[in-house]
Amino acid sequence: MSSARQSGTSTVWSLVLFATLALFAATLYAIFVVAPVEQQMGIVQKIFYFHVPSAYAMYVGFGVSAVGSAVYLLKRDPKWDALGVAGAEVGTLFCLIVLLTGPLWARKAWGVWWTWDPRLTTTLLAGMIFAAYLALRSMGDAGEVEKRFAAGLALFGVVDLPLIHYSVQRWRGGHPTVITGKGGGLESEMYWTLGLSFIAFTGLAVLLIWARASVERQREQTARLRLELMHR
Amino acid sequence: MRALIAALVLGCTMLLVPVALAEEPPAEPAATAAETPKDAAEERATQFVGVRGPEAESISGGALLLAAYAIVWALLFLFLMRMRGLQRQTAEELERLSAEIRASGAR
Repeated sequence: MSSARQSGTSTVWSLVLFATLALFAATLYAIFVVAPVEQQMGIVQKIFYFHVPSAYAMYVGFGVSAVGSAVYLLKRDPKWDALGVAGAEVGTLFCLIVLLTGPLWARKAWGVWWTWDPRLTTTLLAGMIFAAYLALRSMGDAGEVEKRFAAGLALFGVVDLPLIHYSVQRWRGGHPTVITGKGGGLESEMYWTLGLSFIAFTGLAVLLIWARASVERQREQTARLRLELMHR
Repeated sequence: MRALIAALVLGCTMLLVPVALAEEPPAEPAATAAETPKDAAEERATQFVGVRGPEAESISGGALLLAAYAIVWALLFLFLMRMRGLQRQTAEELERLSAEIRASGAR
């Protein structure tokens, strides 16, 4: 990479980083000061402002992983494989956040930590598929076969994303549908707070995928160099 | 006249007593063992019965909210630490490989 391009990339990275940090500060202010406490559930409803954008960031991560994997299967270019790994890791991180913050909210709202609601079940399924992807990739230096098999797994896993999204509309369950449903929706302060949180989480997901893909490419280059040295 | 009055009283008594008895509230049941006066030792609880479902909620919403936000920041921190570890490991590996290349070039 030329030094001018590297400098440009570094500037963009810094801009996105500072914008994301500022957005998170604004989001936290909006959540705890601007947005009103929900009438029925009380203060615990404020989990919503991190829970839903985390689910969205999970979609971004898994979607990026599927795109990277699909292009890798077509071109066999390691940089796309690195993107697939980065997307899968970041997606799994946000999936874990969703699966841990959801039960804390559900305990107060539904009286149970977990229920086999269609959306919860399909989210757990997506998490398990991508956890299998990461387990496969964590077994030492992945060879070509492992990389291709993992890429196929990512493409299989991404099919679950529309199921997660439309499960609340198609099947009966207890999950709220204030955004995707036809109910009363959100009050304006809640709406803007959620919007701000969505933008902040998008920035965070982009930064994490970017950083993780960069590390993965360096690891790939190091592994290649090691192999070349061994065959000298 | 006295016989008439006596007949009226008797008739009224025979008519009104069954009606009065019919409208009377049911007699109080005999005092149960629980209502009988006890001393302090006897008033202690002898069993615990669990309440299930939403009624059992005793965790405050604030604690749950705090836990949820703590989980988010903790997981993000752990992810960043892991990435830093990977980066450090890669840098060390690169350093080692560079040294090997320099050594093999010198030979």
